[in-house]
Amino acid sequence: MLTSVIVCVVALALFWMAAFTLWWQMHAWRTPETLAATRFEQPSGEGALSFSLLVPARHEQAVLEHTVTRLLESTHGGFEVLVIVGHDDPETAEVAAKVAATAPDRVRVIVDTHEKKNKPKALNTALPHCRGEVVGVFDAEDQVHPELLSHVDHAFRATGADVVQGGVQLINFHSSWYSLRNCLEYFFWFRSRLHLHAEKGFIPLGGNTVFVRTGVLREAGGWDPECLAEDCDLGVRLSSKGKRVVVAYDSEMVTREETPGTLMSLLKQRTRWNQGFLQVYRKRDWRQLPTVAQRMLARYTLMTPFFQAFTGIIIPLNVAVALVLDVPAGVAVVTFLPAVTMLVTFMFEIVGLHDFGTQYGLRVRLVHYLKLVLGGPFYQLLLAGAAVRAVWREQRGRGDWELTRHVGAHLTREDVAS
Amino acid sequence: MTTVLPGATAAPVARPAAPAAARPVARLRRSRPDLLVCGGLLAAILLVQGWNITGFPALGDDEGTYLAQAWAVQRGEGLAHYTYWYDHPPLGWLQLALVTWIPAAFSPDVMSVAPMRCAMLLVSAVSAVLVYVLGRRLGLPRWAAGLGMALFGLSPLAVVLQREIFLDNIAVMWVLLAFCLAASPRRHLWHHFGAGLAAAVAVLSKETMLVVLPALLLTMWRHTHRDTRKFAVTGAVTACLLVGLAYPLFALLNHELFPGPGHVSLLDGIGYQMSRPGSGFVLDPGSGSHAVLRSWLYYDRVLPLCGLAAAVVLVAAARWSRTGRALAGPAAAAVILALVALRPSGYLPAMYVIQVLPFLALALAGVAASAAGALLRTGAGRGRRQRVAGRSTVAVLAVTAAVLVVPRWYDGDRSALTTDANASYRSAVAWLGDREHVADPSRTRVLADDAVWLDLVHAGYRPGTGAIWFYKADLDPAVAETLPRGWRDVDYVLASPTVRRDAATLPLVRAALANSEPVAAFGEGEDRIEVRRITGAEGR
Repeated sequence: MLTSVIVCVVALALFWMAAFTLWWQMHAWRTPETLAATRFEQPSGEGALSFSLLVPARHEQAVLEHTVTRLLESTHGGFEVLVIVGHDDPETAEVAAKVAATAPDRVRVIVDTHEKKNKPKALNTALPHCRGEVVGVFDAEDQVHPELLSHVDHAFRATGADVVQGGVQLINFHSSWYSLRNCLEYFFWFRSRLHLHAEKGFIPLGGNTVFVRTGVLREAGGWDPECLAEDCDLGVRLSSKGKRVVVAYDSEMVTREETPGTLMSLLKQRTRWNQGFLQVYRKRDWRQLPTVAQRMLARYTLMTPFFQAFTGIIIPLNVAVALVLDVPAGVAVVTFLPAVTMLVTFMFEIVGLHDFGTQYGLRVRLVHYLKLVLGGPFYQLLLAGAAVRAVWREQRGRGDWELTRHVGAHLTREDVAS
Repeated sequence: MTTVLPGATAAPVARPAAPAAARPVARLRRSRPDLLVCGGLLAAILLVQGWNITGFPALGDDEGTYLAQAWAVQRGEGLAHYTYWYDHPPLGWLQLALVTWIPAAFSPDVMSVAPMRCAMLLVSAVSAVLVYVLGRRLGLPRWAAGLGMALFGLSPLAVVLQREIFLDNIAVMWVLLAFCLAASPRRHLWHHFGAGLAAAVAVLSKETMLVVLPALLLTMWRHTHRDTRKFAVTGAVTACLLVGLAYPLFALLNHELFPGPGHVSLLDGIGYQMSRPGSGFVLDPGSGSHAVLRSWLYYDRVLPLCGLAAAVVLVAAARWSRTGRALAGPAAAAVILALVALRPSGYLPAMYVIQVLPFLALALAGVAASAAGALLRTGAGRGRRQRVAGRSTVAVLAVTAAVLVVPRWYDGDRSALTTDANASYRSAVAWLGDREHVADPSRTRVLADDAVWLDLVHAGYRPGTGAIWFYKADLDPAVAETLPRGWRDVDYVLASPTVRRDAATLPLVRAALANSEPVAAFGEGEDRIEVRRITGAEGR
């Protein structure tokens, strides 16, 4: 009897968690109108705002030149590019100087002299030098669409927003089984879930393709140099103060990125994010959110990595308990609820992969669908591992950055050559 | 608002076809005329179906079975009053148990067929409203949706069948809900998901609903937007499959999925249903199926015949008619069900037609709306005279239809409102419950049909082994065990038409009938009900 009650309670809790996550994940596809509203509007008229685009680069000499060159191709009239390099990184500095020389009126190089370096410190170093009305952040390996700035400009003017978050998309789904899942995670996050957050007024921002009005950013004191998820933190601080955030996703306009090159680096990256989320949670800025629903959403979202780890392990365990122990049939059916929700999520992921392929003109083969399905449990294990690792590191007070290396797998050969 | 100034930007970016503009969504809940039409019709339907619901039609054996199973569920005795053998998925009577729980808790005696028909009134009411909502969602004008609702709820055939405690009525309600959700005006992902769930519940309430699912899918396909369709349809199919699979999963958990010695199994149940002896080709005048068809047409010809014709027309006209396309789903459902009924060697149960009724009603209403629309259409080139001619034609057609239909329906519905077909059953049960005739019911064995089984239980007979559902005496080993001397261990037989008819294939029941004499008889002729006492079993 006691076993039955425990199993039921755990199963129902898991079910609600899985159901909510699924509900939010599918936000953009709720109705055709919702989906249409997630896109950028077609810009009208001349660009009116000026942009300062920050590109922090650390040991990125392989991809930096390409990224900045592409930024310079932007069709928008008013922007400057600030490349931020470390004083101890001559290779990247050299590449940066070389690019700056090609367009001296557009590109400047800022040198970050912090002893211990990380991305928020680099960004803060550049913030006083920004001349534009809007600050945009890109990573050194990003492929930015030339039309993006015009669209962002229009979005700022049309909505009166303080922050515009553009889409970021991992593209190299064919590289490995985990890159496939990683790409799809991004797809669901930027295509769908972030829009829900923008609508609800609580949003953890992404690390790049994020645009903030310079005044708002300075007022907020820039980025938190001690936080491992400075992007998420910024979003939480700004939305807690009631700043308006707009998210727009257009497969044409997304910033293309690559997945981490090895499983270990993915684990490290995920650990850093999770730890960052944990830090943001403990900073309690989200407590200033006005409504209970918003605070619940914040609490849940910031704890998601840990819930995810928990559910990934408990759901199969719970089903196993129901099958092995002799519980009544009704109880057994209840224990299947979370697993059923997981199956529904799986099905939507398969459709999502198909849609991803259609949106980006990529050929998704049967083997990729198989990888998606078979890789699911293992990816779940990876997420669980990253969550456990994050908690462990946070407990031990290890807050240093484990940087992700980039090899340029998302660039096609022509891109790199050009 | 989007204007591209010359030279402002490079070539506009290619983007998907114009995004779905926000469309006005009519809210039926807030539309007073809709509420009035629907509410008025609902009141009429409840009155006609509810009045004399206990008296007509005659109590059915199947009704008793489902209700007895619900009773067993309520008492925590499992899924049936005898061994559950996967004859039907149990969700139908699980719902019945849920709905009747509270009245049964207050007064256990009302848990018998006649009073509990009131539960079906609830089902009919929900279904009728859903027919209206579906009609509106598929684009029918208010009057046509109302016509569909009236056809569905007031046809004498519908009145007779919807009063009875049949799983089909419950399944129809769920499948109508599924259609309504599939035609969600907001085209909402989770509405479509809900349609999948409702469809699964419909199938698990009555398995024959499976054949309607393609028509449901068609409706959903038409009511989804290109950009979100793959998510909506996949969601719905997944939801339906996962819930549907709960049934085999349940069997598996009970170790009853596969056949084996000493226990029932789902596969055996399916095997039985698939191999039921056919009742012949429905158009062959000598066949059992044809007799069933005749019994339907006895009550009403308009809805089955005109409705089917309308459905066929709509399906055939789907290519060029807007109404045809809008109503393609319900029309296809009606046509599919008709084709299934036309199998030459299939088994056609009397309640089969219940599943088709809402689709026939909607198809007929759709054709009426289409015809009226065509006649009343005032094009630019049409003069006043033509408009008058059009209106007169519609008026003449409407009056003709009313003159042809209303008197027949009036007769049919009047007999449903006034006939008492169950007096004999009540008297027979009262006789058996009278201590002057049967001194100790708890030590007496009666073979009876399921229509009165619960009444006998309430009268004090032991469920299952005292009040014995007559089939089980021959077919259920667990019951046969309690009758070691066969018919000699039985005290009475309540010989209803069903018992007399089916005794032909049941040796013990046949012997019991042969070795008994009537001690009381109620009614006359074929329909009479006798209480027969077993004779020649001395030495007990």
